[in-house]
Amino acid sequence: MSGPAGGVPRRLAAVVRTGLRSNFGLAVIKYRLLVEKKDRWLVPLFAAAALGAVPMFWSLVLFIENAYLVLRPMGQERALLSCGLLAGQILVLIFGVYFVIAAFYLSRDLEFLVPLPLRPGEVMAGKFAVIVVNEYLTVAAVVLPVVVTVGVLARAGIGYWVNATLVYLALPVIPLAVVSLAVVAMMRFVAVSRKKDALILVGSLALIGLSFLAQISLGRSAGSVGPGTGSEALAAFFTSPDNLLNRIGAVFPPSIWATKAIAAGFSAEGLSNLALLLGVSMALFAGLVAAAEALFYRGLVGLGETAGRRRRLSRDEMSRRLTSGRRARAAIFGREWKIMNRTPIFLLNGVLVSVFVPALFVLMSTVGRSRTGGTARIDVAALLATLTAAKPHVAILGAALFMTVCGVLNGTAASAFSREGGQFWISRTIPVAPREQAAAKFLHSCVVAALGVVTAAVVAAAFFRLKPAHLGPAFLLALAAGAGLAAVGMMIDLARPLLDWTNPQKAIKQNLNVLLAMLADVGILTAAYFAARSLIRADLPPGIVLGIVFAGLAAFAAAAYAALLRFADRRYPGIE
Amino acid sequence: MITLENVSKSYNRGRVRAVDDLTLTVRPGEIFGFLGPNGAGKTTTIKMIVGLLRPDAGRIAVEGFDVASDGLRAKQVTTYVPDTPAVYERLTGLEYLNFIGDVYGVPREARLERIGAWLEVFELAPVITNPIQSYSHGMKQKIVLAGALLPAPRVMVLDEPLVGLDPRAAFQIKEMFRAHCDAGRTLFFSTHIMEVAEKLCDRIGIIHKGRLVACGTMPELKALGRTEGGPSLEEIFLELTGR
Repeated sequence: MSGPAGGVPRRLAAVVRTGLRSNFGLAVIKYRLLVEKKDRWLVPLFAAAALGAVPMFWSLVLFIENAYLVLRPMGQERALLSCGLLAGQILVLIFGVYFVIAAFYLSRDLEFLVPLPLRPGEVMAGKFAVIVVNEYLTVAAVVLPVVVTVGVLARAGIGYWVNATLVYLALPVIPLAVVSLAVVAMMRFVAVSRKKDALILVGSLALIGLSFLAQISLGRSAGSVGPGTGSEALAAFFTSPDNLLNRIGAVFPPSIWATKAIAAGFSAEGLSNLALLLGVSMALFAGLVAAAEALFYRGLVGLGETAGRRRRLSRDEMSRRLTSGRRARAAIFGREWKIMNRTPIFLLNGVLVSVFVPALFVLMSTVGRSRTGGTARIDVAALLATLTAAKPHVAILGAALFMTVCGVLNGTAASAFSREGGQFWISRTIPVAPREQAAAKFLHSCVVAALGVVTAAVVAAAFFRLKPAHLGPAFLLALAAGAGLAAVGMMIDLARPLLDWTNPQKAIKQNLNVLLAMLADVGILTAAYFAARSLIRADLPPGIVLGIVFAGLAAFAAAAYAALLRFADRRYPGIE
Repeated sequence: MITLENVSKSYNRGRVRAVDDLTLTVRPGEIFGFLGPNGAGKTTTIKMIVGLLRPDAGRIAVEGFDVASDGLRAKQVTTYVPDTPAVYERLTGLEYLNFIGDVYGVPREARLERIGAWLEVFELAPVITNPIQSYSHGMKQKIVLAGALLPAPRVMVLDEPLVGLDPRAAFQIKEMFRAHCDAGRTLFFSTHIMEVAEKLCDRIGIIHKGRLVACGTMPELKALGRTEGGPSLEEIFLELTGR
């Protein structure tokens, strides 16, 4: 198959190089830091955030070390590596769906790439490479601590480290290629449909659901220790070398190959597994490129054809559809609501994730139940009941924390301004005060946070048997905390809105402001935790403790909201 | 009326001077054409008038409202059409116009009448309930123009409004410009099309390297030229901007 002029490797390198530069905005970062000198304040902020993450990573390293010391005498230490590698691959599998759909089909640079003399497979390979590099960063926090800690504890030789590097480079390829093949096939059908956005949404939810199901079966597979009961079966399970590794990797064999390739180094076992991993990765990648040649552009070109019926409204119909007398704040809220819910990437990452997070807890309890023969969920409920009996306010505060986390673990508030992108000129030129616009966006962020809080409340009531008398106060505490954190997230986004995106994914999923807001949330919730703990330790009556915490959170929310409105008035005119 | 007094704007901490000490008045009922080569400072000037950019120095007022200190009232009487029709693609055309009507406080009857009229002129009526993402470039340009016309603003500021429009729509837009200003309103627009500027504008300003190098009616500009028998606007433009 001969391609257009120029060598394939050279063209592919050009696509990848340009994609990486565009994706990470290296030229823009350099320009803003060195020429405009605008974002220099971010450098110390990131240094502080990195330092702040050190204790968390140190705890993780200590946990891995303890697990290693427990598993090593039983010959099961490779299972640790497998857990880390598998977790990384599952992460790629679940979140890869978003990345792949956005990069392959929704990115605006496709308008420039498709007319270029490039083969569909080259365009897709270039896009794929950019996602793989993104995934290196995503999985680093999960995979590197395990691989490095185990390697250091095992005093591994050069074979371990060389193979580990190669495995790390190949790690996202298999799950991403699997996801990409599924997405390319899906989009071929989406492209010919009239309801493209709805199908993208349903299809991606189905793919994510399948990934979750894989996780559940993984948990069940890892959980069952084989025939027999009690300590005998357990002993038999653990005394067989690598039994745990094989169980964990059963659902996703590449994690076994990756583990053995690293752990066995340059031995025959290590090299054969490395060859298997790299070979399958390359085969799947080649399959993807072949599929792209046949399907990619057909799905992509059809996607650009937005269907629209031509129908003239009668004067009466037009009159009925026209609004009037609606306040500007309501109009802006309506705009936010419609755009968020009609943009699949925004809806998935900003709204539906509020439902996913509590659902994940349900899944975890399902996995736990199978592992322990149907008792885990009841155990959690029983534990909560015990806590409730002794110190009811602790259960309420715990539930409030759970609901708050579920409510704010989405990018809605921290992308409130960035999501407008190139259309921000409208917000800048309409005769509506910035504080009014910020207030409407705040209300929208709070509604999305409330969706997560309500879902979490349902989970807490249905799966953790939280009493209604405890649910109510926890709900109110979570709403107050969620409102305050939404205002903080919006201020972070307003300080440095990302408006020049070409791919909606960048506005919310790859927006640094979302990460910064999450770090701020962790800091604020940690401060709230220590404040609540000191109140509990002071042996104050439960009602007083809850009252003080609620008053504190409400005051924080009010102050953050007021600061947001002031900041909007000050910041809007400066956004150029 | 639009007034710019000694307005300057630079980028890169003063290294690139986009607009340099610009003083200009656009009177009520006047169509003012703003010409200049690429990078001359046209879009920067327009963005400062509508409040998208802050001048480093000088003062801009729209209908007497200072854009910097009384921006909200200035915006209440101004609408703007950018050079690229970046508009909410996930809204339908009608939802977009409704949004503009809401934020400018356009009453229901006026909204019904004006939307109906502009949809006919722009031939958007059959697609008005479709998402804007299904529109062509020209249709997007038209929906932004319809949105800018909906509040019947005292001042319209337009950046290259005729780019991307078919000849029929371009003709209707020019008719609309004239009608708008005949009602005593002000229109400020930039263009690269010399013929349009020459035939349509009451006055023309030519900006080059951030400075206003000429400003006046067509006869006043012709008097500046050195060409025998009266130069065309294109010749004047090329002469003033260094060919």
